Amino acid sequence: MAEVFARMVSLIMIAVFTQNAVFDRALDANVAIYASRKTSHIMGFAICITVMTTLASAAAYPFDLMLLSSKYGYLFMPLIYTGIVSVLYLLGLFILWRVFPKVFYKVKKYAHLAVFNCAVFGALFLNYNYGKGFAGYVGYGFGTGAGFFLACFLLNVAHERLNSEKIPKVFRGYPITLVFIGIISLALNVLVGYTAEF
Amino acid sequence: MGNNNRSFAYDGLFRQNVVLAGGFVTAPVIVACTTMERSLVLVISFFMITYLSILTCKFIPKKIAYMFRIVLYTIVAAAYFIPTALLLNILFPDTTNSVLLYIEITIVNSLLLAKTESRFYLIPYRKMITDALVYIAGYALAAFAVGFIRELLAYGTLFGFKICTAIMPAARSTFFGFVLVGLLAAACRAGSGYRKKDSRLAVFKFKKER
Repeated sequence: MAEVFARMVSLIMIAVFTQNAVFDRALDANVAIYASRKTSHIMGFAICITVMTTLASAAAYPFDLMLLSSKYGYLFMPLIYTGIVSVLYLLGLFILWRVFPKVFYKVKKYAHLAVFNCAVFGALFLNYNYGKGFAGYVGYGFGTGAGFFLACFLLNVAHERLNSEKIPKVFRGYPITLVFIGIISLALNVLVGYTAEF
Repeated sequence: MGNNNRSFAYDGLFRQNVVLAGGFVTAPVIVACTTMERSLVLVISFFMITYLSILTCKFIPKKIAYMFRIVLYTIVAAAYFIPTALLLNILFPDTTNSVLLYIEITIVNSLLLAKTESRFYLIPYRKMITDALVYIAGYALAAFAVGFIRELLAYGTLFGFKICTAIMPAARSTFFGFVLVGLLAAACRAGSGYRKKDSRLAVFKFKKER
């Protein structure tokens, strides 16, 4: 039991720091930039993505075991993951509609941004390589969401400065934010002495 | 009017480039476009999955609520992933395996899930066919530019052929990808801004001459 818990915690740490979805793999950097513009958006996006990556990872585990060991199984994984995420997305919206109708009408236009994105699908595709076991899948899925929150928080802290008058007009906003993410990515790589092989 | 139409038609190349201006599809270019061959594989996969999905999903009735339509868009893209992956595995087996994650996540790219609703499906089908193609060309332009610079700096090669000595091996890393795409985005913004001024000047001169 302690071993399973330790593996789960270590995978959470890996997904948050060494293989951060945004800083290390650039998964959903555009959604992170969008979400970090307003402090109120960050929590909503982070909670939604974390819940989705954790639940979808748990649901994907038996399908990965069945299909990914076969030669052409990987071809059908996008369809299966889409099915899993879609069911969770519609179920989540249905629960919100029934239990918190006000919240439902507030988020229904933007909920898809936090669900159908590269961070959620990227976590599912990467789970097979890094997850190793059900606890590992859940840990890696949760860590991906937590890593997304960390990225949004760091971007939010710098948002005002990156959009200030001091930045040349052509760099202001999106271009300088990418350079900023690059510098944090470099710092994290140096800190952990690790880089994804590409 | 003619100028407006022309500007609209070429939006996807520079002014609304999906990588450099809009930031709709950044992950594959930032992380995986480290060589020209990888760029080529990613462009082919992006074309086959996104373009064909955009053309197909146009036929999904607007009566269906957006929250359900987006599920259908993703399912269509996931279905197109199958022939795309099979084809690329035949043509470029090693490269395809090394960038497979970035081919797989193409099924949820924002060009398909967001731009379709805000642009492509608001214009006539024939015009949409070319407009979407221009956006794909914009993606290809960014991917090849990034692949070209990084392969030359990191490996000193182009499409695997030796050109010079590798002067910056770190160019293949993710952080360099972020910085390079940021710099190219600024250059793209500056270029399209100047072009706008030029076209305004041209319109002004044209009116003056008349």
